[in-house]
Amino acid sequence: MLHNIKYELFIRMRAKGLVFWMILFPVALGAFFKISFSNIYDEYTSFSTVPAAVVENVENPVFHTVTDEISKEDNPLLEVTYTDKEDALTLLKEQKVSGIIWLDEEVSLSVASDSIEATILESFLNQYKRQEKIITDTLETNPAALESVISEMNSETESCVRIPLTEGNTDNLLNYYYNLIAMVALFGSEGGLEAAIRNQGNLSAVAARKGTSPAKKSVTLLSSLISACIVQALCCALTVTYVNFILKINFGGSLPFVYLSGLIGSVLGVSLGFMIGSIGKAGENAKTGICMAVSLASCFFSGLMVNTMKPMIIEKAPWFNDINPAALISDAFYCLNVYSDYSRYIQKNITMIILSVLMAAIGFILTRRRKYASL
Amino acid sequence: MAETIVKIENLVKRYKDLIAVDHLNLEIKKGEVYGLLGPNGSGKSTTINSMLSLLAYDKGSIEIFGKEMTPVSYDIKKKIGIIMQDVAVFDELTVYENIDYFCGLYIKDKETRKKYVTDAVNFTGLNDFLKFYPKKLSGGLLRRLNIACGIAHKPELIILDEPTVAVDPQSRNKILEGIQELNRNGATIIYTSHYMEEVEQICTRIAIMDKGRKIAEGTKEELKRMIKNTETITVETENVPDEILSRINDLSHVYETEQSEGRLIIRCGGGKHNLIRVLSVLQEAELNFGRVYTELPTLNDVFLEITGKVLRDREE
Repeated sequence: MLHNIKYELFIRMRAKGLVFWMILFPVALGAFFKISFSNIYDEYTSFSTVPAAVVENVENPVFHTVTDEISKEDNPLLEVTYTDKEDALTLLKEQKVSGIIWLDEEVSLSVASDSIEATILESFLNQYKRQEKIITDTLETNPAALESVISEMNSETESCVRIPLTEGNTDNLLNYYYNLIAMVALFGSEGGLEAAIRNQGNLSAVAARKGTSPAKKSVTLLSSLISACIVQALCCALTVTYVNFILKINFGGSLPFVYLSGLIGSVLGVSLGFMIGSIGKAGENAKTGICMAVSLASCFFSGLMVNTMKPMIIEKAPWFNDINPAALISDAFYCLNVYSDYSRYIQKNITMIILSVLMAAIGFILTRRRKYASL
Repeated sequence: MAETIVKIENLVKRYKDLIAVDHLNLEIKKGEVYGLLGPNGSGKSTTINSMLSLLAYDKGSIEIFGKEMTPVSYDIKKKIGIIMQDVAVFDELTVYENIDYFCGLYIKDKETRKKYVTDAVNFTGLNDFLKFYPKKLSGGLLRRLNIACGIAHKPELIILDEPTVAVDPQSRNKILEGIQELNRNGATIIYTSHYMEEVEQICTRIAIMDKGRKIAEGTKEELKRMIKNTETITVETENVPDEILSRINDLSHVYETEQSEGRLIIRCGGGKHNLIRVLSVLQEAELNFGRVYTELPTLNDVFLEITGKVLRDREE
């Protein structure tokens, strides 16, 4: 068995297709994502300080005090500019500020469009209005406590905008990288297909030679599958490592789980290819084509290509996502990304393991025969 | 009486309406180099694949080393070495690794295997190519690698299915010499080919196959004795008059004459001094002619006489 696994590993590691599809392609695609999304990341990450113009038609020392206190912080929520109405409107038109705060008898807000910054300003003003009395009283009775009151208000405003669902990175763009890893895992179907073909005497000469040897078919098949899983898992781990450590994409605290799902997904991919390679009497080329078509269809229905597909499948045929390998792999990552507890993540991984065992068993049953009607 | 190594009785293999092997009976003794000779599609490879239990057959029985051959006859398989018609090696493994891999399917002990692989490398003359990948090897070297992978475990029965297809003459001779050496070392050989010269050169007994049937069997001398032709005389000359042709045909032991492409071909059945008598007729008639040569019957003649067709095209 070890002899077989050793050489099966050599064979797979030296395959030219492996270097391109399992290593270079994901690296290039990951780099492409990184470059493409860098602008979007800047937009997302620079909203912490919101520029705002303040037009003080009625003198408001309390608001002055609040904005002064806020601007003292290391990472201030607001960057306010006190100005007149004309200047403020010009700044808003030129998008140099996200909104105008009008200090009249009542404090009000004007924004140019709906945006995250506008939401922050609105939230801040709501907080201010609710706590204006407290701030006024604090100024009069205990000015030393003012800083902590404003700080509290600041943090509440932030919490209204950022709702952490998990300890992980809730960035939606992360899904693209998860999909990339899922795709690499599903590429394992190619390795599984090879394992099936290289053990069927009617499909390859080396399989015929193996078939004439005293080596048990179960041993040669298992060796092929184990080596395919090892190589696939390594490639998947390499992709995760590259995305996390080279591209600096933060998976939050879920990195070990990303590796784990990559491993299980790789086994699932290999099992899928093995099962496809074992079905029917079609030749190697036909089976490769079928395997590719099934993998692409699996990716398509899981929403890896068209993001509206997944909600549609959930609505029309939710059961399909539980047998669709690509959907299972991406869902496992999605669960890591969205849910704070791991129950759904564990459920998805267990489903993947069950499906892998099932597909591998079907493959074994179909390839166990040793005599063929024609060679 | 030598031990029977392979015994095939009434083997029938059909592909839908086509009968690939038609009630074939074979018995191969220990120490023989047994040739299966026949044109492409005559059922040689189908017979081999059925023997190896790779191919399901419709009827008959196959015994190897006195036991019924089945897909799980591991004890029998251990003693068999197979050299496929198609080169069956891994492109991703080097020459040494390929031999070691296939040898490892038979020999578990590492040290023994190492020695066997070295022996196979020496035997096939691949010493200078151990770190080469198959794609870097010439056709002849690739065939030698294919052989090395099949014989490294020192089998008692070696089956070679057209091992010299698309091989240059030098490599072909090397391969044929190697097969004879394996036989001298004690291995029983089954050799399939549509090259009659090869079969004549190395086989001690030959079965001629056509359309899935064994049409003749014996040593090459026995096979040649089965046919009428004992000698073919060829005279390079143009347009031999009918009168002279008639005189040649009247000679005793001449049973057929044929004129084609500037040659007069005279076939004789038995008798002595046929060439001298033919030349006398030509000289008496003062006919101009070029080279004259005589040939003993070949297996192609045997095949031609039995089936009415040539074994293979001359261009092959």
